[in-house]
Amino acid sequence: MRLEAKLALFNALSKLLLVLLGAVVIPPVVSRVAVAHTDQRLHEKMGEVLALVKRDGISAFVREEHSEAYADYNLLKQEYITLTPVASLPAGRPDAVRIFNEQRQVDNEIEDFRILGYTLPSQNPRTYHLEIGSSLATVELLTDTLRHMALWVLVIGAALTILTDAAFAHYLLRPLRQLIANKLRGVHHPSAFPYAPIQTDTTDFRRLDESLNEMMRKVQSAFEKEREFMSNVSHELLTPVSILQSRFENMLQDPELGHAHSLKIVDSQKTLYRLRNTVKTLLLIANIENEQYLREDKVSLQSVLAEVTNELDDRLAQRDLALRLELRPDYVLPAANHALVFTLLFNLLSNAIKYNREGGSITVLGGPHGGGYRLSVADSGPGIAAENLPHLFDRFRRFNSGAASPEGYGLGLPIAKTIAEFHGAHLSVSSELGRGSTFFLDFT
Amino acid sequence: MHVLIVEDEKSLHQEVRQFLTQAQYLVDSAYTRAEASEKIFVNGYDFVLLDLGLPDGDGLSLLREAKENERQEASFIILTARGALDDRIKGLDLGADDYLPKPFSLLELLSRMQAITRRKFGLKRQEIPFGRGFQLDVTGRVLRHEGQEVTLTKKEFDLLHYLLLHKNRVLTRLQLGEHLWGNVLEDDSDSNYIDVHIKNIRKKLGQYAPTDFLETVRGIGYRVAEAG
Repeated sequence: MRLEAKLALFNALSKLLLVLLGAVVIPPVVSRVAVAHTDQRLHEKMGEVLALVKRDGISAFVREEHSEAYADYNLLKQEYITLTPVASLPAGRPDAVRIFNEQRQVDNEIEDFRILGYTLPSQNPRTYHLEIGSSLATVELLTDTLRHMALWVLVIGAALTILTDAAFAHYLLRPLRQLIANKLRGVHHPSAFPYAPIQTDTTDFRRLDESLNEMMRKVQSAFEKEREFMSNVSHELLTPVSILQSRFENMLQDPELGHAHSLKIVDSQKTLYRLRNTVKTLLLIANIENEQYLREDKVSLQSVLAEVTNELDDRLAQRDLALRLELRPDYVLPAANHALVFTLLFNLLSNAIKYNREGGSITVLGGPHGGGYRLSVADSGPGIAAENLPHLFDRFRRFNSGAASPEGYGLGLPIAKTIAEFHGAHLSVSSELGRGSTFFLDFT
Repeated sequence: MHVLIVEDEKSLHQEVRQFLTQAQYLVDSAYTRAEASEKIFVNGYDFVLLDLGLPDGDGLSLLREAKENERQEASFIILTARGALDDRIKGLDLGADDYLPKPFSLLELLSRMQAITRRKFGLKRQEIPFGRGFQLDVTGRVLRHEGQEVTLTKKEFDLLHYLLLHKNRVLTRLQLGEHLWGNVLEDDSDSNYIDVHIKNIRKKLGQYAPTDFLETVRGIGYRVAEAG
């Protein structure tokens, strides 16, 4: 998961948590606030009523002789005020203000009210009880409104900050994205590395960029030194080999040369040939690993296999081997080196011929395999012992499997492996003693 | 045929020179780029064998310079131990006629030169008569005996052709193998593929006429021996 996605996800999750917390906490708080607010208003009203009673006297509201109750309510019955004469002070605390919820009938309608009850201090000869009520429906309406508003503000705020945070993170991380896109992905070799600095004023990214450039410069310089070294080595080694080879050839042409010496020269020629092939193999592997080869051909496995079998027809016939070749379908490497792919397949097939029994068979199959393409080359030879399998692709390792076994495993397979890797393919082997070996070439 | 060898490595230079002189070429030598440049300018050559790594300059620039001269008719064969890929491409783009990576076989060099000569002079139908009544049609890649076609595999044909090109020379199995398999890297130098090929050739040709012209030189190799 990308850093930016992680940041955005974390951000969204934390905001969501905040909203959820809000949804849980806000309603009780809001209703408490609403109730407190209502109570406060009831108290204020009581104060006003008491002030009026004090100014005008209780008689302004009730006629003492009639013992009538005073009642007043507003048009929509959201509030009411009553003054009721009572026989005596209620027991307990005489002049306590009580606030409670209860149903009251106002003008033939029963409704829930928040009620403030207060018994006025004794006004001889009667005692009066004051009640101020506020409709609970009103309180709840207020609570609902407040709750909704609070929640909306929270949600919209959260959504806005999620967006702005994501946008800012996106902007901040742009140099990192460029770094990854230009300098890490798609750079398979230092020669393809872009050294132009990334535009950023974030110190961390600039340091990262500079370190990458610095490291890549070192790697590239090492590569260049190696390339130069290989070039020199190939010149220094191949020139004397070339001289000796020419000299041996000239000596063999000499009519005065005796037979015994001729034999020695042929023998020396063989030794020289081996030296030459060793050097050339090392150079080939080094040059492939050092990206000295182009990958600019579209290469069809079918057609390269046709070329290879054309080259090897005689050997197949000489050893009386049956070749089965089936690619379903053909596979075309989009960017490959034709000569190298030829060498790779030639080595695999020539090994399958060399390490086979007279009258045996070779099966070359190709087809889709696990999301990629697999080419397998199976022989009916003696097979390879399990303990030797891990070393099969090692350079220049030979193992004893009897004097009769032909030489050559030492060079062909490491080359094949290197070429396979150069083309992003994987070369592997499975083998069973006495049944034969199968080499798998997996293209992805 | 007039050949200029441009090669700074003296021993190799001498070997090539000796070989080509024996093969009836008129050989001239240059050890530096400057010397080569002057000789190419003054003399007309049929072939220039050009080493790329010269002490006083790049062989490729010499090739470029020579090719700019329109009177230049020499065929250039590049010899290099650098083995770098781009050199080859550059060389062929600049008009080199062939390219031989070092180490190369002198016999291979000779047959490349003969091939270039044939191309240059437009020898369309080239037939090599040999043995008693055999004709090797090189362009059509057919072997005939008194007009009747003798079927050979590709490798058998190439092998016979190479032996005929180097008539009266002993060719070792290595030299023959290298010609047949080219630059394919193999280290089973003791392979008996060549022997099997020769056996098959003898069997196939033997049905038409004696094959005593194809000699085995014990322990060394094979030779096509023919008078003339």
